[in-house]
Amino acid sequence: MRDRPSASELVEATREFLEQEVLPTLADQRLRFRALVAINALGIAQRELDSEEPEVLSTEEAAELARRIRGGDVPEDAPALLEQEVAAKLRIASPRYLDRYR
Amino acid sequence: MVSEWGDELRERLAALLGADEVGSLWLLAGGASKEAWAVDVRTADGELPLLVRRAAGGVIHTDTLSLEDELRVLEAAHEAGVRVPRPYAYLDDVGGREAFVVERVEGETIGRRIVRNPELAAAREALPRQLADELAKVHALAPEAVPFLRARDVLERFEVELDSVDEPHPAIELGLRWLRDHRPEPLDPVVSHGDFRIGNVVVSEQGLEYLLDWEFAHVGDPREDVAWPLVRAWRFGVDERRLGGVGEVEPYLERYVELTGRSIDADDLFWWEVLGNVKWATGALTQSRRHLNREERSVELAVLGRLAAEMEYELLHLLEAVS
Repeated sequence: MRDRPSASELVEATREFLEQEVLPTLADQRLRFRALVAINALGIAQRELDSEEPEVLSTEEAAELARRIRGGDVPEDAPALLEQEVAAKLRIASPRYLDRYR
Repeated sequence: MVSEWGDELRERLAALLGADEVGSLWLLAGGASKEAWAVDVRTADGELPLLVRRAAGGVIHTDTLSLEDELRVLEAAHEAGVRVPRPYAYLDDVGGREAFVVERVEGETIGRRIVRNPELAAAREALPRQLADELAKVHALAPEAVPFLRARDVLERFEVELDSVDEPHPAIELGLRWLRDHRPEPLDPVVSHGDFRIGNVVVSEQGLEYLLDWEFAHVGDPREDVAWPLVRAWRFGVDERRLGGVGEVEPYLERYVELTGRSIDADDLFWWEVLGNVKWATGALTQSRRHLNREERSVELAVLGRLAAEMEYELLHLLEAVS
């Protein structure tokens, strides 16, 4: 789809609407919490849509590695490779979490 | 909604407690798998604030207790002097779903407030020893009082759970592999709370008031409970305080050992801390499946599927330290 707004821009617009117009009107603590979770979810979606990072492992490679490890055959480079893979997932899902290890 | 079963429930409560007056029900913030309703009852002895736990969608893990059994565990714990909200009754049909009624207690349960709020500084000081006191009492419960609690092999359990997710998670597999290769000699099994951590305790300015959420109770190695509040996710961002973001592990463990006579040292807990991260990584994935499988639609459950990566990262970090 070449017409704008792009998927990312639509997600961003929705997130901003929730954050700036809906959230301030919510008094119920439970609803506020769920709205914050929803805003966070849209943030994840937007970062994924905008990401230009190449995949560390394809789904097939991840499945093969998981099978090997389950069977007790752990490739020597698995820990380092998985660190890269999980860090890449976190840059989309929870980028600030990585700061806790610095 | 409430009106369909609310009146019936209020009548039952009135009969059960000999109440003069039963107020109206309102929905509280609660867990994802169950509803929590509040209701105030007036008896001859005075005002009685009650909490009604009622089944909602499915269950979190494959082996959570039914509300009926959870209440029976609460009763056994209450009888043994564990600080739990006073249990009142199990009701098999509240608008077509089971429920139980307990005392509604006051205090802080939100993890990020317990680890940070300035007015809870003294509570944080007291919590390590108080947590040990309570856990020692739980682990002293007589298994005969709760014969329905199950013992399961922890590694097998998480492997089955992970397989049910049907998505490759090699980082969790690496954790499981390491756990298999370094498994410690088991200790004698005890009655385990199953979700013993900050977030499941009610805290006042004096510290621990009540231990909540017994749905994961089972029979198992005592170190599973002892190490669970050390898991980074349960430090709520205050990572340097390794015991639940509130304190140090040593005074907690010393007190627990003093009370139970079990020989456990800090190094012994490492294996169980790795296990805890496998458990919560897998738990987060299975919870997101409840949303994806349309058992219970919830954005809260959905995002857990992505947040499991946090526990995967912690797992790799822990394993790096011992490689």
